[in-house]
Amino acid sequence: MQIVPKMKMAEVIHLNYHLLPIISRFDIPLGFGEKTIEQLCSEYGIDVNFFLVILNSYHDKNYFPRKHIQTFPLRLIIDYLRKSHNYYLKIKIPQIDELLLQLPDQAAGQGAESLRLIGRFFDDYRQELSAHILHEEEKVYPYVFSVEEAYLSGKPSLSLVDQIKEYSIDNYENEHDNVEDKLFDLQNIIMKYLPLPLDTNLCHTLLIELFRLETDLNDHARIEDKVMVPKVRFMEKWIKDHFTG
Amino acid sequence: MTGPEYIHVILVDFSQLARMGMVGLLNQMKYPFHVREIPTPDRLNGLTAKDLGGLFIISSSFLSKCPPELIHGLHKKLGKTVCILIHDSDGFPGEFVNFAETIEFSDPGKTIIRKMERQLNTMVRNNPVRNPAGEISDREKEVLRLVAIGLTNKEIGDKLFISSHTVITHRKNITAKLGIKTIAGLTMYALINHLIFPEDIH
Repeated sequence: MQIVPKMKMAEVIHLNYHLLPIISRFDIPLGFGEKTIEQLCSEYGIDVNFFLVILNSYHDKNYFPRKHIQTFPLRLIIDYLRKSHNYYLKIKIPQIDELLLQLPDQAAGQGAESLRLIGRFFDDYRQELSAHILHEEEKVYPYVFSVEEAYLSGKPSLSLVDQIKEYSIDNYENEHDNVEDKLFDLQNIIMKYLPLPLDTNLCHTLLIELFRLETDLNDHARIEDKVMVPKVRFMEKWIKDHFTG
Repeated sequence: MTGPEYIHVILVDFSQLARMGMVGLLNQMKYPFHVREIPTPDRLNGLTAKDLGGLFIISSSFLSKCPPELIHGLHKKLGKTVCILIHDSDGFPGEFVNFAETIEFSDPGKTIIRKMERQLNTMVRNNPVRNPAGEISDREKEVLRLVAIGLTNKEIGDKLFISSHTVITHRKNITAKLGIKTIAGLTMYALINHLIFPEDIH
């Protein structure tokens, strides 16, 4: 079921409570009352089309935003992506860290050593994820802004035109890999290969958090791939067509 | 020895060049494949439920040349098959099925691999029967140990007197059986199971 402007926000959350972190990234607090998405968006100054594209992308992974509703500026997408980065680094990862720290207390000897390995593996993962996020915020997003600005003004700088010829959004996006794979490995190792006895409740909570983080990261990546990248590509192509020859 | 089950891939496009390109990319992924190529619309009729159920990759140019009744029939057969559309920058034709992923012809190889692996991860996870039963074999353990201490495929091949290609096949099987894809993950597995010790790591 696709989410539409006339739906009440509370109904949307009943439909899929995983959307809760999303609406908090738009700074919509609880206490929706009977308000619809449309009403809340106008109240909080949110572009309703953009909000729906994000909600639907998270809600249904086969959802494809049609071109005609993608009229919102790239700045909105990037603001949103930055907010979700912040959520991973400031909230999600520390929560998982906290759980991981409790793990080795549960075992002795060999077992504790394995559990400490898990902690170190997650440290590496966190560093990779942070580096990836930093790269996006410091390199990719400023580039995206400069492309949009040039497209809107119709006057790209020479250096940008040169840059696009050499290095496009596709290069940027492909500079990272296997961040997702590491998370998957971690889930399997915790589920399948840790020596017993383990604190079952703790491990379950940990796994659930890892699965949630993974889902959220995948949704995040889909928004980059399906919403941001096509828009940037379109603008890059326009600039190339008009200013190189 | 139980090998992992192959993922069935149906690859539908007129162009042999495009199909070969896709096969090349598929081979770079971490899953073992069995590819069936469909070069013309009439060959679509021959597909059975057994062929489907894996990955179904079709191009927009092919779709636009298919008669509606053929598409209708195919639609019914596809069921839960994961469908991927390859299209050009003009977008893609109307309602066929829900595509789990779309790939643009101009996408760089790495983007295509990333998109497909994401689908495959979900697919393998949602179909536990696809995952091979059984433990890794002694030979695979040996390869795993060498991967975990940081050797390259070439070095492993030289050590075990097998080709790099065979090493890659072993690695794909190990990954499919254990569900561990990264070298760091394999290293951790090897440490936990005492196949290697911290001082072995290069």
